[in-house]
Amino acid sequence: MTTATSTAFAFPATYNFPPFFTPQPNTNTRHSQLQKWSSLIQAWCRHHRQYRLSLIEAIDTPLFHNAQLRKRLDLREARAVIDWMAKSESEGGDGRAEWIEGSGNQAPKSTAWIWWRRPEEWADTIADWVEGTGQRGVILTVYELVQGDGTVSQEFHGMDNDAMLKALNVLVKRGKAQVFGAEGQEGVKFF
Amino acid sequence: MFFKSLDLTTALRPLLLPDETLLFVQDAVGLYEGKYKIPNYQNGHAYLTSHRVCYVAAEDPRKHSVGIDLKEIDRADYQAGFLKSSPKITIYPKPQKNKDKLRSANASPAVSQTTLQPVKPLSPHPQSAVPHPSSSPKPINATWICPICSFSNPVPSNFDTTTATPAVNLPPCLACGIKPPFTTVLKAAISAAAGSASRDLPLPILNSLSVEDSTVTKNASWTQPTGNGTVSCHRCTFVNHPSLIECEMCGSPLVSAPTSNSGVDASRSDSPAPFFDQTRITNTEVTESIKLSFRAGGEKTFHERLKGALIQRKWLLQNAPPVPPPSQTSSSTPATTAVEGPQPAARAAVGIAGLEQRRLEARMNNQLVIGNAFEDLEALMASAKQIVALAETLARESGMASNEGSAETNAVLSESAAALGMVTTKDMLSSGSENLYLSELSRNLAEYLTDDRKGILQREGGIMSLIDLWAVFNRSRNGVELVSPSDFERAAELWEKLKLPVRLRRFKSGLLVVQRFDWSDDKTVRQLLEWMDELRAAPPEEPVPWDWSEFGRAVTAQEAAQRFKWSVGVAAEELEMAEDRGALCREAGIEGLRFWSNRL
Repeated sequence: MTTATSTAFAFPATYNFPPFFTPQPNTNTRHSQLQKWSSLIQAWCRHHRQYRLSLIEAIDTPLFHNAQLRKRLDLREARAVIDWMAKSESEGGDGRAEWIEGSGNQAPKSTAWIWWRRPEEWADTIADWVEGTGQRGVILTVYELVQGDGTVSQEFHGMDNDAMLKALNVLVKRGKAQVFGAEGQEGVKFF
Repeated sequence: MFFKSLDLTTALRPLLLPDETLLFVQDAVGLYEGKYKIPNYQNGHAYLTSHRVCYVAAEDPRKHSVGIDLKEIDRADYQAGFLKSSPKITIYPKPQKNKDKLRSANASPAVSQTTLQPVKPLSPHPQSAVPHPSSSPKPINATWICPICSFSNPVPSNFDTTTATPAVNLPPCLACGIKPPFTTVLKAAISAAAGSASRDLPLPILNSLSVEDSTVTKNASWTQPTGNGTVSCHRCTFVNHPSLIECEMCGSPLVSAPTSNSGVDASRSDSPAPFFDQTRITNTEVTESIKLSFRAGGEKTFHERLKGALIQRKWLLQNAPPVPPPSQTSSSTPATTAVEGPQPAARAAVGIAGLEQRRLEARMNNQLVIGNAFEDLEALMASAKQIVALAETLARESGMASNEGSAETNAVLSESAAALGMVTTKDMLSSGSENLYLSELSRNLAEYLTDDRKGILQREGGIMSLIDLWAVFNRSRNGVELVSPSDFERAAELWEKLKLPVRLRRFKSGLLVVQRFDWSDDKTVRQLLEWMDELRAAPPEEPVPWDWSEFGRAVTAQEAAQRFKWSVGVAAEELEMAEDRGALCREAGIEGLRFWSNRL
């Protein structure tokens, strides 16, 4: 994990292509552009182990700001990209993001989950791990899953709590787990 | 008389000879030889020029187009339309010396009968009845046509074109007794004098053959037995004669009857006249007469102007020397003669004095030419050649005086205006034929655009906006007979229909442009991409933060305009078109809109 963050993020070639930062009017070109943006954002988040992306914060990071080209994606455009990512594939997007409902003073559409792995994919990974380590029927706390010593080698180690709960909820729906306990101290039992 | 094959311009109009002018155009015209229709020559445009009568078929014009020189035409008769027969103009060839026997041998019985009849002189012109020796030193056989009764009178033998003035007492017309206008006689005398050298005096007489022939064809064209083709009225079922338009009994219109005699019935498949059995008529000799059948009107004007052209005999003037300025020798301007008189001596003067002298002479001469030209319009026509030449030199001189860039354009403009001899103007066409005017204007434009001498389209990189073209075209018309924008646009829209080598194209934004017909978006895109590849191959002058070997360089509309010689508006449209097709993508920045090869 530490090695992953220390190495510099390798931007794709298109990141240095100036028109990449201009919304394209041609539908086909635009679609391709959005796909490239989506994969860049996913790669960026995976690299930095980020699960949620705050646009306000990210807008000045190298992700959206190419200092070399002196080009940037402005907030409105970045929002349009996340909007597209939030749409399911049947709606013409790629379903790799999800807006987090703004609570209180937070403006809507300012933070989004970036699903470089979708909750369903996380659920599969967790289920495989449970199966592989023979922990069926064992009760684990969410804290153990995310921060425990047993999961250090796993990708979901250090995962955002809320994201983990979303993944576990998928397992619950499949009937493979049960989540109980008070908020902040959830436990989970795998079947 | 021969049918000659025609050279057509790119716009499928007859290519005019130098000095030839277009007099009239009429569409929906059919061609007959004798009384027979000529197949494939039944629907086309008839062009009357000062030298020729041309026919260009509407379909397959390159194959089916013929012309007849006016100099081989003896005369033209007008024949009004009757029932199903369209009005026609019959053109009779001049008799040929050694063809008489041959003609009577292969002519139809009706014709050979008429040749047996005593020859009666056609024209009551007393002099033409007596054959003149062609070697007469002074051409006194000049005739002038009385504008009142159109009787052809002889020009008096003592009439000298160089000395005559309006004050000379002219003999009145032999038929009506009205005195002719001076200019009519002057013109007739000049044309006769100019033609006497080249012409071997084919006297316009003794062709009674054609007269009889025309009556034969006239009869044949409408008293054709109609036989069983009867029409029963749909209302009262009375069986009518096929020629009737309305039912004889109840008066209701008959469906199968021809709606109108003068209507545009261009196909004319049911015309009573039989077809001529020859398919190719180019270089075919016309033995009796040919007829132009006017199915959509216009025959009156055509006949009028054909008669005029036959009288004017412009073809004789082709290499004629300019008309001698009459006032140069006339006694009314003694000052002029005084200056002109010592001319040979003045030539000897050298140095500044000589130059000044020559300048003065030139000025005097110019003054003369201009003064004479505006004396009256007819005289202007006579000295038109000189005036045009003078105007051209004046225009060139004034162009030189201003700055160089505009001098060049001025020269190009005046030259192109001169080259644009064949402009179709509205009065060249019969009134009411708006469509014909538009289609002729359309052809005119196409010719103007594709003319390699001017290379209008080439200079603009093969594409130019319609508004630019409109401006250039109207400028080249020198301020007369300007084309209105709406006519212009409609004419441009006709290009596609007339299969002309230029096309009108509408860009997304509504910009209308003109381009060659073989110009396509694919071609433009290919050119743009080639350009992009070039940019990618060459390293940029300044270091750039991106990988130039992969992405190349951005281009603006201005750069594209410069490279392809387009106007900036067109370049912007073309770039956006290429973007639309996914070949390019855009980069909007503070520097403006730039286009990149699409790497997304």
